[in-house]
Amino acid sequence: MEGDAERSQLVAALARVAGGDRSALQIVYQDTSAKLFGVCLRILNNRSEAEDVLQEVYLTVWRKAASFDQARASPITWLVAIARNRSIDRLRAASGGRRMEPIEAAVEVRDPAPAAVELVEASQQAGRLDLCLEQLEAKQSTAIRSAFLEGNTYEELAERMKVPLGTMKSWIRRGLLKLRDCLER
Amino acid sequence: MSDERTLMQSEGDRLAAAEYVLGVLGAADRRQAQQRLLHDQAFAAEVAFWEERLGSLAEAVAPVEPPERAWRRIAKALRLPEDRPPRESLWQSLNFWRSFAIGSAALAVLSLGALTFIEISPPPRAPLLATLDASSGQPNFVAAVGAGGTSMLVVPAALLAADQRAYELWLIPSGDKPHSLGLVEPGRPVRIDVPPDLTARLTADTALAVSIEPPGGSPTGQPTGPVIASGKLLNL
Repeated sequence: MEGDAERSQLVAALARVAGGDRSALQIVYQDTSAKLFGVCLRILNNRSEAEDVLQEVYLTVWRKAASFDQARASPITWLVAIARNRSIDRLRAASGGRRMEPIEAAVEVRDPAPAAVELVEASQQAGRLDLCLEQLEAKQSTAIRSAFLEGNTYEELAERMKVPLGTMKSWIRRGLLKLRDCLER
Repeated sequence: MSDERTLMQSEGDRLAAAEYVLGVLGAADRRQAQQRLLHDQAFAAEVAFWEERLGSLAEAVAPVEPPERAWRRIAKALRLPEDRPPRESLWQSLNFWRSFAIGSAALAVLSLGALTFIEISPPPRAPLLATLDASSGQPNFVAAVGAGGTSMLVVPAALLAADQRAYELWLIPSGDKPHSLGLVEPGRPVRIDVPPDLTARLTADTALAVSIEPPGGSPTGQPTGPVIASGKLLNL
């Protein structure tokens, strides 16, 4: 997703945004808005809501660029986190009960395989995460991916995967603890 | 692996951070986690860990081009010129200007002479210039009003610190309060489009000033920070 050159270009642009450079915000927008719009849309499942949130996301970037620390986070992950948080906040604020599509347990809810170039460029972290997710039970990794990508609550996931709420909580919690051990190794 | 995280050993705490990042919490629990982020550093470090590690899951999300109006709304909210693709021409090249503006007001004026010469059409009115000096007399910016009086080029004439703060340019007609002309930059020339209601105020002897403001510019519409440069427009 992000090559070294793109990454350093994005880091440099964020530093300029932090310094109050408005033209740099446009560079960040051009480089990342399609990705972040995709992220918002996936969670909100509504174009006009996703557009609203996208605006909030870049206004947040404008205000908070100074808190981005390239030693601690990659720029795209930092941006994705803002987009997800804003989208999920919006979703919870509405919380009018979304209609949930069922997920068949053990079926991977993944998008089509990324292009070869993207695979080559995929960060080491992505590789490590995939490796660790593979060590979980399929239903656990399915629930975790689905929660991350779509912003589902425990209740929604339980409904979608047709298991009791307690079961879902225990799948995910055990999955997360195992994941954490694996990621730290 | 990291010292700051060993402070937070309890499984429940670790899970709370992971659940927050994963997004499975309901509205109330989520707000509670967000409150906790503000004051609990160990919790914040754990959240950062998960955001970085789980973040790569987003690689599976296909990009979707947002409609063009999305950027226009953002630009409007930030009072940005709506569509000005970044460009690096001779005009904007800092080295070009640095080669003239080496700290002397005389040279800065010469560079602006060159500028107005370069600026295409014959001016319908006399071009105006201002060197904006610090109280020490050191020129910090030079400003040239373009032919037609609708735009102004503001060039840094000294090496100023590029940091979080914004440098805001003000037009101060005599006997009137300051009017913001937008932000200028310590590191490169900035072209400013003068708001139509102010073009008539751009006359010889009108003062310009640059103040230091919070990122994004003065929150009040009036200068709030120290003035680091000021000067009057003069006929060239």
